[in-house]
Amino acid sequence: MIDQTSNRNNKLEELKQEFDELDVRDRLETLLEFSDELPDLPESFRARRDAGENRVHECQTPVYMWVEVVNGQVEIYADVPRDSPTVRGFISLLVAALFGAAPADVLAVKPTLLTELGLVEALGMVRMRGLHAILHRIKSEVQRAIGEAG
Amino acid sequence: MSTTSIESELLVSTDWVDEHRHDENLRIVESDEDLLLYQQGHIREAVRTDWQTDLQDQTVRDYLSKDSFAELCASKGISNNTTVVFYGDKNNWWACYALWAFKLYGHDKCLIMDGGRRRWELDGREFVRDPEPDYPRGTYAARDPDLSIRAFRDEVFQHQAAGKSMIDVRSPGEYTGELLHMEDYPQEGALRAGHIPGAASVPWSRAVNDDGTFKSEAELEQIYLNEAGLKREGDTIIAYCRIGERSSHTWFVLKYLLGFDNVKNYDGSWTEWGNLVGVPIEKNV
Repeated sequence: MIDQTSNRNNKLEELKQEFDELDVRDRLETLLEFSDELPDLPESFRARRDAGENRVHECQTPVYMWVEVVNGQVEIYADVPRDSPTVRGFISLLVAALFGAAPADVLAVKPTLLTELGLVEALGMVRMRGLHAILHRIKSEVQRAIGEAG
Repeated sequence: MSTTSIESELLVSTDWVDEHRHDENLRIVESDEDLLLYQQGHIREAVRTDWQTDLQDQTVRDYLSKDSFAELCASKGISNNTTVVFYGDKNNWWACYALWAFKLYGHDKCLIMDGGRRRWELDGREFVRDPEPDYPRGTYAARDPDLSIRAFRDEVFQHQAAGKSMIDVRSPGEYTGELLHMEDYPQEGALRAGHIPGAASVPWSRAVNDDGTFKSEAELEQIYLNEAGLKREGDTIIAYCRIGERSSHTWFVLKYLLGFDNVKNYDGSWTEWGNLVGVPIEKNV
């Protein structure tokens, strides 16, 4: 059941609904499709990535991520190697769901998101920590950005 | 049968796998850290077994039961007499782990493809994004677990108290207690940092070349026999890491590449030992 009061992010709710209707195999296939579709890191961030800035150290894969709030909308840019499709797919899913969202909606994403998407069941618990770290990083960067602005 | 730099009946080259991939009675099995890698691209004939969602039973924090193992094999078209070739990502950690689990249930013919996914990719060989091939069911009767290759915590406790050989294959920082987990890896829940008293530190990575293939026998002898002082015959050697995957890699090196008599993998490893009440650890920081 969708909790209307605590989460107004329709894209994310649609994705949860979609994953809920899939079996484990198709959830993994969908995650792989997200991995295929992660937009390339914009040119303007590449020099900073090459200098090692903004690495998500909690994640074993070399993930570089920039989270910004521009005109009241969250923007997420990331670089993830193609040989780490699980992490890449999850970040791509978050970009698809949260890019352009209001900061409050991103902060309202529950820490149980991976369970709600059925990914704990599909991937196993030991694979969750790095993925949790990414969601946590996005939320804390948004919190920091609106803190600085306001 | 192998063109790799080391002579072992259990190690085959990518060339060998390429030549034999259509053999009847041979099954190629991919086992990765990243579950989606297989789906993204795999050796055409390969099936997948996942260390976490296939080989373990989280409800008992143990390996799957003998019957479930038999069912898993049969469903992948593996029979008791099938030769199984394992390969995977991350220098074949999970391939060695899967091989160890197959040996636990007494599977006879197990091979490792030297260098794993990385070597196959560097060779420019084909990966296909097809669904997992559906082979005719195998006929499988699993044996009882072979506990001569698996160490449990009570045994490790007695082993270290008696000052017997033990090998810690984690990174130097994890061994000394400076780091609680592998660098760049998520913390996996140990409350203490350090190592089991008396364990020698030989990071698993010393056994491999840059392309993920194993080093030569002479190089491995230098590392494990001369430097670490381990002996081929005699007392059991226990290998451990954090969750048992890197140590199954070293277990494979000692048992099958160097021909040690008695080597056990302590799969509970640091996530268990580091959290046990009333057991000692050592630190070097």
